[in-house]
Amino acid sequence: MQADMKALHKMFMSRNVTYQHSHGRPMSCPATAQLLSNTLYHRRFFPFYTFNICAGLDEEGRGAVYTYDAIGSYERTGYSCQGSGKDLMQPVLDNQLKAASPLVLPPRNSVTELPLEQAVDLVKDAFVSAGERDIYTGDNVEILIITKDGIKREELELKRD
Amino acid sequence: MFLTRSEYDRGVNTFSPEGRLFQVEYAIEAIKLGSTAIGVATSEGVVLAVEKRVTSPLLEPSSIQKVAEIDEHIGCAMSGLTADAKTLIDHARAETQSHRFSYNEPMPLESCTQSLCDLALQFGEDDDEGGGGGMSRPFGVALLIAGWDREAGPVLYHTDPSGTYVKYRCMAIGSGSEGALTALQEHFKPEMTLAEAEVLALSTLKQVMEEKVTATNVDIAKVAKNYHLYNQDEVEAVIARL
Amino acid sequence: MGSNGGGFDFDLCKRNALLERKGMAPPKAWKTGTTIAGVVYKDGVVLGADTRSTSGSTVADKNCEKIHYIAPNIYCCGAGTAADTMNVTAMISSSLDLHRYATGRQSRVVTAMTMLKYQGHVSAALVLGGVDLNGPHLFTIFPHGSTDALPYATMGSGSLNAMAVFEAGFKEDMTKEEAMALVAAAIRSGVYNDLGSGSNVDLCIISKEGVEYLRNHEFLMAKTYTRKFPVTYAKGTAPVIKEKLIPLSAVDVTEGAEEAMDTS
Repeated sequence: MQADMKALHKMFMSRNVTYQHSHGRPMSCPATAQLLSNTLYHRRFFPFYTFNICAGLDEEGRGAVYTYDAIGSYERTGYSCQGSGKDLMQPVLDNQLKAASPLVLPPRNSVTELPLEQAVDLVKDAFVSAGERDIYTGDNVEILIITKDGIKREELELKRD
Repeated sequence: MFLTRSEYDRGVNTFSPEGRLFQVEYAIEAIKLGSTAIGVATSEGVVLAVEKRVTSPLLEPSSIQKVAEIDEHIGCAMSGLTADAKTLIDHARAETQSHRFSYNEPMPLESCTQSLCDLALQFGEDDDEGGGGGMSRPFGVALLIAGWDREAGPVLYHTDPSGTYVKYRCMAIGSGSEGALTALQEHFKPEMTLAEAEVLALSTLKQVMEEKVTATNVDIAKVAKNYHLYNQDEVEAVIARL
Repeated sequence: MGSNGGGFDFDLCKRNALLERKGMAPPKAWKTGTTIAGVVYKDGVVLGADTRSTSGSTVADKNCEKIHYIAPNIYCCGAGTAADTMNVTAMISSSLDLHRYATGRQSRVVTAMTMLKYQGHVSAALVLGGVDLNGPHLFTIFPHGSTDALPYATMGSGSLNAMAVFEAGFKEDMTKEEAMALVAAAIRSGVYNDLGSGSNVDLCIISKEGVEYLRNHEFLMAKTYTRKFPVTYAKGTAPVIKEKLIPLSAVDVTEGAEEAMDTS
């Protein structure tokens, strides 16, 4: 829900500033991920109507993707998608990124390392395809590329119907 | 005494005309009566060494606690009214746990120290101001807070009843602190190993202690990524290296 | 039971109602979310439709046909449950065929209109248009059976978007080109602004001279990105486990097999 998304986002912008004031450094991605989980679970019985992905770089500088349900259950994964098009997109990502099955022992890391250019290519294709079949996906996609050098924003047009 | 300090040395909320808060200064005096505690920071970790005053052979030395764990990555040595330290340590333990809960990461050392000093300052507040409001006097204890910070590595902070905190490479508190500091200034080298720091801390402590150093009347702890309190054998091993 | 003699078969109604009461979900039908529209112009009627068919929130068909044939001089746009609009129009189309054989006259648009009223049992919202001896006609038929005769009409989830365009741009006695442009604009407004409508614009122009069915009159948008690193699967990715070949010469073909007479 747009209102809840805005409220949650605004709250996190302020929490990040508060954190910097009291601890003298920006909140790390794993810290933000935990805080998001707590914030969502705090509203267990009157949830924020939001489905989140929190992504950034961890302490070792590796890419981190955290995926959530509406009430704060979360997990670190290599890739994830949320929203109306997720049923269409997740299986494609599973196939392309070769998710290690949780049933295979010993457990393997589900972070698949793809060169940046190929990762962006896959993301664009996934969105264009979801836009073809999901009526709620369309118009434009915003892509944020987070590296140690900073955050780059790209925009791609989708079909407008 | 009554003539020179009358009136202004009673309330914790009143400055003297010379700009002093006598109660706070008295609290700092109380620390000088306490047992000596020494902290030495190296690039490999921080060592804390404290004297335990075993005043009677009937006393169970292990029941004297002068170093405490605050969190996995923070330990602290105390001197002064150690009962007051209990309140501070409980507060710090709650803060560090709450930080882990909120952010799934160890609390930065400076934040932990800051929160202890915030509490130490609450002696001036009214009952209804919340927090620790209703405190009747300043804490009569000084702390050496040793920890391993994710960003800064091994760090050592010193706090006193005025709520001031300062970072040190090497620090001593308690009755023997003056002598100990002179010795530390002479022998401390920033490139020391942790093993050398153990020896420096304990030998300095030995100089300022009245009794002979034994495995029962000192406590040694280190924070080398994690807090560890030395058991009797480990203390004896350090004594043997003196 | 099971006869295909025309009309609806209600045999499974009771059983299905029972299953539904016991908690079984009924099968999900494809809906044509849809923007359909039509206008009367100087010499005839222009009908228009988008080409998206949806099942829930997913697009089931990106290029379906929503303008259905009724008679050589009558066409009908359908919105609602895809199966209903298809079958209802096909049934009326064949009835009118028989009617023309019997009477030897061109079908009238009102006749088709009267026959298409289904009183809510099927969910078909229709825009019916055609030209007969009385001139051009345009009707809307609602799922519950009410009808309107109008100079310009819209139906479906995008009906409000399309009607906004009509209200702004409709004139009486337009030329064919003006009417085509207006209907196309109305459908486009549905395609871009209504989630249930999408893909392309179909038009159908009916006049005394004949019918022009312009399938995909406007192709609105292709994919906006193609992969720079397309995935290719190596041969053998799906392994062949077993292979069995039946040569055609080995197949026995019996022509005109005898069938036992049904004596029941």
